[in-house]
Amino acid sequence: MNGRNTKLFVLRNTPVLLFLVLLAAFGLMSDRFLTIGNFVNIVIQAAHIGIIAIGMTFVLLIGGIDLSVGANMYVVASVLGLFLKDLPLPVSFPLATLLGLAFGAVNGWIVTRLRVAAFITTLSTLFVGRGIALYFSGNKMVGFTPQILALGRASYFGVPSAIWAFAAVFAAAYVTLSQTTFGRQLYAVGADPDAAGKAGIDVRRIVFSVYCIAGVCAAIGGLVSLSQVAVASSTFGLQKEFPVIAATVLGGTSLFGGRGGVLGTVFGAVLIQTVENGLVMTNADPYLYPLVISVIIFIAVFVDSSRTSILERLERRQIRVERA
Amino acid sequence: MSAQAAPAPFFSAHGLCKSFFGVQVLHDMGFSLHPGQVLGLVGENGSGKSTTMNILGGVLPMDAGRMTIDGTEYRPRNPREAEAHGIAFIHQELNLFRNLSVAENLFIAGFPKKLRGLPFIDRARVRARTQELLAAVDLDVAPATLVSRLSQGERQLVEIAKALGANARIVIFDEPTTSLTTRETDRLFDIIGRLRRQGIAIIYISHILGDVLRLCDDILVLRDGHLVGGAPKSQMTVERMITLMVGRTIEQMFPPRDPPIELGEPVLEVRGLSQRGMVKDIGFSLRAGEVLGISGLMGAGRSELARILFGIDPCESGEVRIGGSAVPKLSPAACMAQGMAFLTEDRRAEGLMMEASIADNVALASLPRFGRNWARFIERTRLGDEVARVSSAVRIVAPDQRRTLAKNLSGGNQQKVVIGKWLLREPRVFMLDEPTRGIDVGAKYEVYKIINQLAADGAGVLVISSEIEELTGMCDRILVMAQGEIRAEFARAEFDREAILRAAMWHGSKEPA
Amino acid sequence: MSTMQAIAPGGTAEASRRRRGLAVRLLMSEYLVPGVTVIYFLVMWALVPAIATTETLLDILAAMLPLLVVAIGQTFVLIVAGIDLSAPSILATASVVGASMMTGDGGFALGTGVPVLVGIVAFLAVGLLIGLLNGVCTTRLGMPPFIVTLTTMMFFGGFALFYTSALTEDGSSFGDLPASFVAIGQGTVVGVPYSLGVAGVVMLVAHLVLSRTVFGQWLYAIGRNPRAAAISGVPVRRAVLWAFAISGLCAGIASVLYTGRLETGTPVLGQRILLDIVGGAVIGGVSLFGGQGRVTWTLYGVLFLSVVDKGLQLLGLDLASVFAIKGLVILCAAVLDAVRHRLMLRG
Repeated sequence: MNGRNTKLFVLRNTPVLLFLVLLAAFGLMSDRFLTIGNFVNIVIQAAHIGIIAIGMTFVLLIGGIDLSVGANMYVVASVLGLFLKDLPLPVSFPLATLLGLAFGAVNGWIVTRLRVAAFITTLSTLFVGRGIALYFSGNKMVGFTPQILALGRASYFGVPSAIWAFAAVFAAAYVTLSQTTFGRQLYAVGADPDAAGKAGIDVRRIVFSVYCIAGVCAAIGGLVSLSQVAVASSTFGLQKEFPVIAATVLGGTSLFGGRGGVLGTVFGAVLIQTVENGLVMTNADPYLYPLVISVIIFIAVFVDSSRTSILERLERRQIRVERA
Repeated sequence: MSAQAAPAPFFSAHGLCKSFFGVQVLHDMGFSLHPGQVLGLVGENGSGKSTTMNILGGVLPMDAGRMTIDGTEYRPRNPREAEAHGIAFIHQELNLFRNLSVAENLFIAGFPKKLRGLPFIDRARVRARTQELLAAVDLDVAPATLVSRLSQGERQLVEIAKALGANARIVIFDEPTTSLTTRETDRLFDIIGRLRRQGIAIIYISHILGDVLRLCDDILVLRDGHLVGGAPKSQMTVERMITLMVGRTIEQMFPPRDPPIELGEPVLEVRGLSQRGMVKDIGFSLRAGEVLGISGLMGAGRSELARILFGIDPCESGEVRIGGSAVPKLSPAACMAQGMAFLTEDRRAEGLMMEASIADNVALASLPRFGRNWARFIERTRLGDEVARVSSAVRIVAPDQRRTLAKNLSGGNQQKVVIGKWLLREPRVFMLDEPTRGIDVGAKYEVYKIINQLAADGAGVLVISSEIEELTGMCDRILVMAQGEIRAEFARAEFDREAILRAAMWHGSKEPA
Repeated sequence: MSTMQAIAPGGTAEASRRRRGLAVRLLMSEYLVPGVTVIYFLVMWALVPAIATTETLLDILAAMLPLLVVAIGQTFVLIVAGIDLSAPSILATASVVGASMMTGDGGFALGTGVPVLVGIVAFLAVGLLIGLLNGVCTTRLGMPPFIVTLTTMMFFGGFALFYTSALTEDGSSFGDLPASFVAIGQGTVVGVPYSLGVAGVVMLVAHLVLSRTVFGQWLYAIGRNPRAAAISGVPVRRAVLWAFAISGLCAGIASVLYTGRLETGTPVLGQRILLDIVGGAVIGGVSLFGGQGRVTWTLYGVLFLSVVDKGLQLLGLDLASVFAIKGLVILCAAVLDAVRHRLMLRG
């Protein structure tokens, strides 16, 4: 019995254990790694991916996918830099977020009204979005006002602005998922959309909203990223969908819907950034970063999927009561 | 049931009609309900029962007709509107979300909120109300329990609690007992009795005619979309229902089965088969030409045994010989190589490719046999001929074997497709798990005939069924399982419904429960 | 119903129903995509006559063939309800590994006397091995194909860059490939490109495998209902493993054609063609949900995309507009497919 409990404990907490192992490993290799300052740095760097991944979590929970988040970031960045440059930030940021919402709404509309598979819908809007943004920017670097950079460097009550944004988005998402009707219905839709429809849930409204949320999160994530770099080259946001999906899945959200949550996603995003940061600290060859990160993601997902199947087997209903 | 004693009806339907693609599937259907009435609805598959209920439940719009509740017109456009009018539909496939808790399932369509205008769920009220509703259906689980941890019967009670929570005045049950144990069925009937005493009207749809007769006040019989009979239970018998349903008299539910004079060699021998938590020390043998039944309650380990024997689920110890040769490592491929076939209980999930044609489905298990040379090119003419031969042998009724998709067939024809798939392999041992579940009387009869023919041709047949009448009607021998063990064996001469049931209900190894 | 139609005089309602019937039939036809391609081509011809010159047509063909080969591989994986996101990274990895055998700072096979042969084997082996890796991970480790191929895509995309940076002086590509290798991508026999022969053979073999062999039928069965297939004795794991291996191998073959055409082995090869690979197959009618797809459908889809690409180029549009329009075109095709699917469910 005890052995089984230990096994269950290890299986349930493997991502955390993996994280601790990584911390220890990098800590041994670099004495600058295990410092509070560095850890704050990691969270700041993870913020934009984390925010977008929180939006992605909503999409994956209903069994959808959004490949267009990176393109959405770039659209928002180029419109902000080219057309909303002269507005004060409290005006231009909400407008930019609305633009992200609109992008998400287009995805949601196509998926719910035209009933095109989410994968192919968002793969096409990825290209349309990038194309339009490239057209605006003329394939050139888009620059931003110094205020944006100042915002990115600002701290409030000792906490950097990026972490504030990250925490706010997380809190809103967490409460929405666990404490509102919408959030609980979202899990129902993810588990079985047909049954959800029969149970009187407005499935289309929920699916549509979810893509809007992903759009908003992509925009906010884009703004956080801009506030750190203050320029948007033509590759801004390019292929960001991959680390975003990786962070979400790493956090335990299933690609098939109905299982997961945003707390895990935050963890996933921070974990990926920790690895990257650790590699920088230990002076690894930059070309090795993607290799190491993909291996870590692979191991984490592998552990998660085998954990799920082992837990299912252990918790399977038994017919007979056997004496131990 | 005199006219004066009956309360006035609050619901009525007149002249309901419905067509699909120009084919009328429901003609001039009408009935009424008064509070506390239990109305039984019987008929073969495709007779219009489900269509009627789907109209009532707002799943389908009607083409013509009129429904009223309390004298005002009722015309639901979706399930939600039906629910708002107090009509709850408990589908055969339960509509619960396994990843959510019992409480969340009860309120998923609209949670009570903490404050007006704010979207936050009032968890305390949800919990309190859930406890009330669960108590009303006698279900003793915590509101926060995940539905995935409940048994099928418990889930059904959750559905009923949900209907109560929505203040339903009419509760529709569609085949509620197909996946319940006997005990759970009894509990369900108790609850239904309680509902009717509260003045809730019940519509009860089932293929199990005995249950309908036992439970319902009035019974309506449908055939080919027409209402062909309706009477209070005092004027109805099972035989009369069958006559009305099929439009002819079936003298016997089962084709005559002459027990084989001489049984052949054993084709399936099982010794000491055990799997922790599932089955223990199973041993039996099945001989050529024999039809062996396995009886037992739901959860007795019958399907689990069959799945282990076919190598779908693992087994720890034991010896299995098929056709005289030992199969050391059980797997579907290894069992099939020895001439075994297995019809699973869930034909939708494990038997059929719904989006594929009849021919593709029938061919599926036999493809390698039609592969030519190293690249295994399929001999299409020979395969086509063989598939056509088998399809007509099992009498699949469909416009075109190559074009008609499995999902467009009736339950009975779908089952024949799966049977045909295995017959194409000419099996020596055929295990059938609930071969007649959810199919109509006529198709059942044909399935029994196929099984008889198979045995007559020298195959060993193993039939698992929850209906004891079915087993006594067609088997040569019956094994009874309980708690993963074989508890009793009956030869044809000793068949006795009560004795079999008693053996099945044994708990522990000494006393009947 | 049908007899009613036959005897009814051509009333207006009847006529409109018949017209609708024709529209539906057209929409449901598997020749819809080739039909649209022809119409597009004719419209372009009116706008830019240059599209109909032999030179342009050969250009379209040259651009299309390698893409077709990868998309055919993808078709196998889509049929078993999987997806192979790693195809672009396989193209890149095979390109740099294969090229490094034959030239420059690597030149591992220069001493063997048959460097081109060794190089080609390396291309195919890289594709096959990565495909097998994808297959093993999905079938043996029980991970979803999307995630497996997402990580292999990231890994081998990074690996190709790393490999190139470690083995070349400028760190960007392997140039100076042997002429005999380049010929595979560029050469012609009596005006017919070699690559046409390669792609043709791949197409023919893939078509025969899918439509005529036991293995092919198994793949469709797995896509339609994997549990029913397993219980019917189909070796599900082995078949899915080979579907991924075939996808990898096809990407390896395509990499030979691409690398030959570019005359360099480069780690950025195929970086942006994931949309074309999956989009091509899906436009042709291959389902993302498994169980449906044909080599000819993929051919139609890829042909359509290639013609659209060239047409937009000839119209003188910049990269940005080509991007946006192609995205829209694929979206339209997907909408059309969704409409078709709904009609099929009703009919």
